[in-house]
Amino acid sequence: MVRNILRFPSDEWIKTFKEELNKNKTYQEVAKDWEGDFLFVITPDEDLKKETVFYIDLWHGKCRDAYLVKGEKQAKFVFKGPYSNWKKVIRKELDPIRGLIRGMFTVDGDSRVILDQAKAAQELVNIASTIPVVF
Amino acid sequence: MGQVVDCFYWDPTIRFEKELQLVSEDIGKGITLRKPVFTIDVLEKIIERIKTARKEYLRTHDIPAVLEVIDKVNSLWQDPSYTGRKLARDVLPTVTGFSVEMIETWGFDYFFDIIKKDNLPLAGKLQPNNFREFAPCGDGLVKAYGKPHVTHTNYEPEVIGHICAGNILGLAAFEMVMDKLVDAATWVKVPTEEPVFGALYAKSIEEVEPLLAHSIAILPFSSHDTLVQEYLFSQSDLVRATGGEQARRNLTPLAEKHHVPLAGHWHKFSFIVIAREFLQKQASEIAELASLDVCAWDQQGCFSPQEIYVETGGSVSPKEFAGLLAQEMERTTQAIPKGTNSGKMQVLDGYYQYFTKETMGEPVKIFASKEKQWLVIYDESNPNCEPSPLYRVIRVKPITDIMDIPQKVKPLSSFLQTVGIAIPQNRLLAFADAMGQAGATNLRTVSGMTLQKAWEPWDGRFPLQELFEHDSIHWVSIDSKDVDTEIQRALKRKRLIVKEEFSKKKK
Repeated sequence: MVRNILRFPSDEWIKTFKEELNKNKTYQEVAKDWEGDFLFVITPDEDLKKETVFYIDLWHGKCRDAYLVKGEKQAKFVFKGPYSNWKKVIRKELDPIRGLIRGMFTVDGDSRVILDQAKAAQELVNIASTIPVVF
Repeated sequence: MGQVVDCFYWDPTIRFEKELQLVSEDIGKGITLRKPVFTIDVLEKIIERIKTARKEYLRTHDIPAVLEVIDKVNSLWQDPSYTGRKLARDVLPTVTGFSVEMIETWGFDYFFDIIKKDNLPLAGKLQPNNFREFAPCGDGLVKAYGKPHVTHTNYEPEVIGHICAGNILGLAAFEMVMDKLVDAATWVKVPTEEPVFGALYAKSIEEVEPLLAHSIAILPFSSHDTLVQEYLFSQSDLVRATGGEQARRNLTPLAEKHHVPLAGHWHKFSFIVIAREFLQKQASEIAELASLDVCAWDQQGCFSPQEIYVETGGSVSPKEFAGLLAQEMERTTQAIPKGTNSGKMQVLDGYYQYFTKETMGEPVKIFASKEKQWLVIYDESNPNCEPSPLYRVIRVKPITDIMDIPQKVKPLSSFLQTVGIAIPQNRLLAFADAMGQAGATNLRTVSGMTLQKAWEPWDGRFPLQELFEHDSIHWVSIDSKDVDTEIQRALKRKRLIVKEEFSKKKK
């Protein structure tokens, strides 16, 4: 099956991410205890000129909702970093936890909770990396 | 029966071309320390091995896996029956001069909290613009001063070196753990004054996860061994060093020569400030807590108080406070004694100097322990900041207003570090801000001055960030969001320590 190449970041990308996540048995297993929604904030650098925000609602191994945010939105966690670092994560050149430790990402919310769910975080990255993408 | 303790560690499977020469040193009480004679060939093999172990383990395991190992290692050390801890208990008092109570109670039971998995910092870098006023970080507050000017960035340091000062136990362990959070291989020069613990800790890592341990080398060598230092600097992406002025003068040009960023932590001046609001009903409690700051590590730490400033205008005067402190110094010293030969001359010198002054009618009063284990000096004669002789000799000085202190200590700006505080919340932020502008870096509730929290900045820089980036931001922390709650917690801790120590002595 030929999959569309999607631009990152975009609403199409995050919606595809939601679909892929909900098909993923590994994620469902490793994230079965996870409760908490995220804002993924992509700050401008390189070719990205404007801050872009994704909302993603993760609940016990499923994604209940995901979309490109227009306007204000609150979430339990805010994971933020520059576009160039998000690209590295999607290309699996940077592990998000290592990125957090090195200050390449910041998190609002208890980072320790994220650390305890590192396998789930890694699976999110694995899923993201399978979506054909153009930056 | 004698104990032979190896003060070195690296992957034991490394084979050297020639047999490694070891030098033995009898330090008394049947304890012999063994240290290697390093050649460049030997060091080349060791450095090569820590680099490959880094690739084999750190680059293939996620951070939670590394933290699990650290957690298991720390659990070993929390167990008083663990063989490493028993060896440390047997040997370290002789090696360091600290009492066994100091090492066991203050060292292993409390100080090691800093490297507990749940206390480790995971966000290595904060954005200064989010902290232009004191804002939450960890269980305290931090504020950023200055403009960012990045002079060094390396997010993937391969080898980090450490030169550890000998005044505080446990620094080598902290450094090993921090390096693993940034996936770096580690070499540690252990101090001559305490060459034992680093190797013991590294060996305990090996018991849990050998391959992680093989990314670490513990190297005891003299600071005069320029050949070894030159080689190690040449192989490092960064060196973090702790020490005094001599160390700073020796190591700075060495780092410059090899173009290695040097994260230096040098001589510091710390003190306690007590506001009048805490000199009403709580004066005795504050004295109780202050005595622990003076006694911890026999006052040898950069974070140990050298003076205590007591604000006038409370129900208890600064001189009366000095008397209360003296009572608590006796009690705390009975619970956590000084080492047998620790600092007797400093106490005696201080005693005779101030005894003369008091006799001559100067506005001083001395409170001395009968066994000359400690000395409290109430001193109105000299309003200036003065370094203490240390070893539990402390001056108490009156101050009209705590907000006069930042100006008073400003001449020592580059040396200022920790301020122990008993200041009410409604005055604390203004004081902290003024102290931050004067150059201090950490405000910690009294009795906790020597209990650095892993999230706190160290000499104004975050210890994790310092391993991969240098900017010129000066961070200042307050160790708690609520001084009153922290003081109550500190009192419980202090009283538990004293109770447990007295209970052990009765047995």
